[in-house]
Amino acid sequence: IFFKCGEKTSPISVILVTSGSRGNKLLFRYPFQRVADCTSSLTTKQRSPYALNTTGDVLEDPDGDSRFSDIILATILATKSDMCGKKFELKIDNVRFVGHPTLLQHPHTIQANADPSVISCMHNLSRRIAIALQHEERRCQYLTREAKLMLAMQDEVTNMTESDPQSPFRQILPKCKLARDLKEAYDSLCTTGVVRLHINNWLEVSFCLPHKIHRVGGNHVPPEALERSLKAIRPYHALLLLDSEKALLAQLPLDCSPALVRLIKTCSAVKNLQQLAQDADLNLLQIFQIAAHLVYWGKAIIVYPLCENNVYMLSPHANISLYSPLAEGFGQQFPSHDLPSMLAKFSLPLSLSEFRNPLDASVQEAQLIQMVVWMLQRRLLIQLHTYVCLLVPPSEEEPGLLRDEELPLVARVGGRSLSTPSALSFGSPTSSDDMTLTSPSMDNSSAELLPGGDSPLNRRMTETLLASLTEHERQVILNIPAAQSPEDLRMFARLLHYFRGHHHLEEIMYNENMRRSQLKTLFDKFRSVLVVTNHEDPVISLFQSPLG
Amino acid sequence: MGTDRIECIFFSEFHPTLGPKITYQVPEEYISRELFDTVQVYIITKPELQNKLITVTAMGKKLIGCPVCIEHKKYSRNALLFNLGLVCDARTKTCALEPIVKKLSGYLTTLELESGFISNEESKQKLLPIMSTLLEELNATGACTLPIDESNTINLKLIEQRRDPLIVQEYDVPVFTQCKDHFIKSQWDLTTQQILAYIDGFRHIQKISAEADVELNLVRIAVQNLLYYGVVTLVSIFQYSNVYCTTPTVQSLIDDRSIQEECLNYVTKKGQKRAFLRDVFQLYCGLTPGTTVRDLCSRYSQQLQRVDERRLIQYGLIKALIRRLQKYPVKVTRDERSRPPRLYTGCHSYDEICCKTGMSYKELDERLENDPNIIVCWK
Repeated sequence: IFFKCGEKTSPISVILVTSGSRGNKLLFRYPFQRVADCTSSLTTKQRSPYALNTTGDVLEDPDGDSRFSDIILATILATKSDMCGKKFELKIDNVRFVGHPTLLQHPHTIQANADPSVISCMHNLSRRIAIALQHEERRCQYLTREAKLMLAMQDEVTNMTESDPQSPFRQILPKCKLARDLKEAYDSLCTTGVVRLHINNWLEVSFCLPHKIHRVGGNHVPPEALERSLKAIRPYHALLLLDSEKALLAQLPLDCSPALVRLIKTCSAVKNLQQLAQDADLNLLQIFQIAAHLVYWGKAIIVYPLCENNVYMLSPHANISLYSPLAEGFGQQFPSHDLPSMLAKFSLPLSLSEFRNPLDASVQEAQLIQMVVWMLQRRLLIQLHTYVCLLVPPSEEEPGLLRDEELPLVARVGGRSLSTPSALSFGSPTSSDDMTLTSPSMDNSSAELLPGGDSPLNRRMTETLLASLTEHERQVILNIPAAQSPEDLRMFARLLHYFRGHHHLEEIMYNENMRRSQLKTLFDKFRSVLVVTNHEDPVISLFQSPLG
Repeated sequence: MGTDRIECIFFSEFHPTLGPKITYQVPEEYISRELFDTVQVYIITKPELQNKLITVTAMGKKLIGCPVCIEHKKYSRNALLFNLGLVCDARTKTCALEPIVKKLSGYLTTLELESGFISNEESKQKLLPIMSTLLEELNATGACTLPIDESNTINLKLIEQRRDPLIVQEYDVPVFTQCKDHFIKSQWDLTTQQILAYIDGFRHIQKISAEADVELNLVRIAVQNLLYYGVVTLVSIFQYSNVYCTTPTVQSLIDDRSIQEECLNYVTKKGQKRAFLRDVFQLYCGLTPGTTVRDLCSRYSQQLQRVDERRLIQYGLIKALIRRLQKYPVKVTRDERSRPPRLYTGCHSYDEICCKTGMSYKELDERLENDPNIIVCWK
């Protein structure tokens, strides 16, 4: 199946070609070629299979579709057997054909400048359909039967009177399931980007074009960026479904995994992934995989679990137009409220607790939370996190630039490893901060390892941690009044490796099992050497950008 | 040029007795018998495919060619069919090579029509050294100039493909991404030359048009052109009442030594010792929603001793360390009888409205603050 694609991400057409003992045949294409309505002897679909196309007379078609007659397509797309089983790509002027020839030929035509990842996705779809067809062919000669049907229809149409300008493919469509499947694949790719077919009403082929589903401000998100983001998900993140639970479950195929169903039923915007694992009785790795799957298919996004201290702000990509469909939808969902007014409230960063105590008590608290969830689902809000950076006031001799090398690992004593879940040993769940007290800490948190007080061991530990700093930096830090308290200094030293601006407050809280108030107090005590700023988390900001 | 190499150049033709074959290729033996057999139908093609740029991918290679057919009684079989093509690795992006292939096919066609360059066995042999030189020079410098005979010279250049630039609005401010001194005026068109002096990273398009006395649309197009080539980028108008906030990229000031250097050199006040990183970073982090530049100046006066706040903002915007928060008025309630809002819909920022109507920010603010039907969103 060849897909012809445009500059963007939609295919121009889908074509099915076979090559066999009786020669090369174009079985089906969709959309049908436009019937030329000019007076010269042009390519009407009525042509005898033996007539050649005279390119000079053909109407200018920006898609290049009508330049290629059925015959020529059959010839060029019926590749030799050496090319079978591999990706096939052919570009003619500004039209590109992509397919995966198997014993059967399935070219896709795409416009020349399509992104290579779009091309490989199309090829992927080609391949999947081809595999399904191959399977069905072996099982019950499905393709041969459909092909016979298509050819028979084409012959029938050719033998009909000249007055009927119908494309033979139009006749094929109602009679031939495979043709309808191909049409559906094409239509789905052009609109939603999600394809679900049942070849021969039996084998399911599902596919999604992430380029259509994930877009940031008008440009599609390349799958690699999506994958990178998915890899960076942490156990303290949460999964926010974009559809209602009921709607989502209804979309699942009958034979889907029970784990997926359990996850959908148990997940909630206030629960982090670690808690979700416990509640759904799955291990964290499974949760990550299913979550990634749902995100990839555009059914969910990754957020930080909702809690009182979360601070939200209007997203720079948010559509705040009075007349947007979003505004309408909001009005329907929450009567007597309008979206722009709500959004205006988030013009300045607003925490959930501040939002929940508005001056007018006319709105129910629960409804306010629902509104925030609604806005998050539609990517109207971004969440801001606090990031901290160690920057010591320079002395006159020091140029004030930072050293080139990263803080060496010796500074990272204690604390959880910050790598992906497989390496983690999972401690007890750390719930969102306002709800419960911090749970018992992780085995390798240094707060547990070291006895309290000012023991020589502790002092040594602190010294080691501070050893990675320059002499000047150390001096300045030790001169801070708060540094006189060994407890405070030790905590500071232990957290030193987070102070490079890449770990936000919540992450430090999670990894080190500390409370927000503890951290904030520490930051305040050492404020003369720390610079604090708030911005969105780059890891999940991908999921906070709008669709389409 | 750069990463995409041309692996091979080949010349293929339809031999009267042997059929499609590769007559010359450099380097020799690059295209295997097997590969050619697989793709020959796309190299020496049926009439429908002639004169089209054809790129076929097979066996890990990409072949780009343009089959030519010259019909004349003098040829055996009444037609001369040939194709001069390039071969690259299958993963190479070859869009930039297409115009080259098309041009080459044009050159050869002309040569054949003028002097029978290809059909003459003797002159055809000159193709081999020509192809060698082409391969070498295109890979080395991306350009090639070759005299063929007394009257014909081949000039080829690889043009990098760039993304379409954004539309330039009247309230956008162009700023040079590189030092302005590196800019060679004479290379550019007259309009661009005329407005060059007015591009200072502070004047917006409308102002440039007025001061340089060049029509607005011409300025817009000229700047769009500069944008396309990456010579300038667009930032927003600077005012002390502006509000900015940091982006995650601000951390690159900490991570990246080269950005540190560049930034400190850019923002330090002329004649002063270089500003400290800590001060500059604190200034950027001091930009938060709700804080105007004026506020920043009063809060951080000590840090600003060595720093020019306008260049600080400019650099921050160019490198996306900070972003501007724009104000968007929305008329949320109105009586049935009044007209629907035209500008106060949430789609037009203060910048745009002021530019279009000629009002100042202050005037617009006063007008809207007293209107209970209008709310303002910042984003």
